[in-house]
Amino acid sequence: MLDFDKLDKAIHEKGRLAIMTLLATRVGWTFQDLKEELRMSDGNLITHLRTLHRLGLVAYTKEVHDRPQTTYALTVKGRAAFKDYLHVLEQIVKAGKK
Amino acid sequence: MDPRAKAEEDLRVIRSLMERATVYRAISAPTALVAGLLSTLAAVAIYWNNEVSLFFDRPMRGRQFAEFWIAVLFVAVAANTFFIWREARRTGRPFVSSGMKLAVRGIAPCLLVPAAFTAWFFGTGYLGGAELELVVVWIVSYGLALLSTALFAPRSLALLGWAFLLSGMAIPALNNLIEDFPIDIPLAAMGTTFGLYHLIYAAFTWPRKRARFQAEPALE
Repeated sequence: MLDFDKLDKAIHEKGRLAIMTLLATRVGWTFQDLKEELRMSDGNLITHLRTLHRLGLVAYTKEVHDRPQTTYALTVKGRAAFKDYLHVLEQIVKAGKK
Repeated sequence: MDPRAKAEEDLRVIRSLMERATVYRAISAPTALVAGLLSTLAAVAIYWNNEVSLFFDRPMRGRQFAEFWIAVLFVAVAANTFFIWREARRTGRPFVSSGMKLAVRGIAPCLLVPAAFTAWFFGTGYLGGAELELVVVWIVSYGLALLSTALFAPRSLALLGWAFLLSGMAIPALNNLIEDFPIDIPLAAMGTTFGLYHLIYAAFTWPRKRARFQAEPALE
């Protein structure tokens, strides 16, 4: 029997899962791009990003070009956690098919 | 919701997001607008020069015809490069992105045939008045080039590719029918495809501010 508790609770939340998924597709995402793609409010997005950052899954860099810009990226730990999360999801789907 | 259904739903959301995030639009709406306007203006200018009043000293046929359209191509490519650079700068992404590399790898082989055919046209092809054949090769190859990015391009770009491909294929197929038309067929084909099609594409894909609340479910 598969242990559903293996699912990383930090990633399992829908908003954070979407953020982690986007961050897994590129080297870095600016806050504006994430906001535009996910259609989240500033407050909601920053709360999720702070949670992920506190857990060491997401890193950010702040740069100033024409205006201040924050770019977010997965950390090594975050990428590994996302892979593990996907693996567990696949196991659940496979187990359900048996 | 049972765990399996929830897991499947999560995987579906992940897949959909990843697909959306990796979409690469090789031709942006501003580029299409520039290309469409330039092509329309070029077609009108050549028509005006050939049929109404000579302002290029002589009728634009053969090599001059091809040179004129190649100049339009260079300006459109320069505009595309500028728009991609500007977008990369705005978003802080690299100019040569992974999407661009993927697109170039798909498009490059499709450009070999028109390049070789154009070289032949400038060598001897123009002597036989092969503008129509040249135009067909250009239109079909451009359509194929756009379709080569269809796997990671938005649907609108694939539709544009199909429009070019089918139009290019239709010209020789309908050759007998359109031969009697009192218009310059190569010129009309260039103006319609590279001019009109690009303008339509630009109008449909022009970036609009997305509404916060849309019909599809939000991810929050």
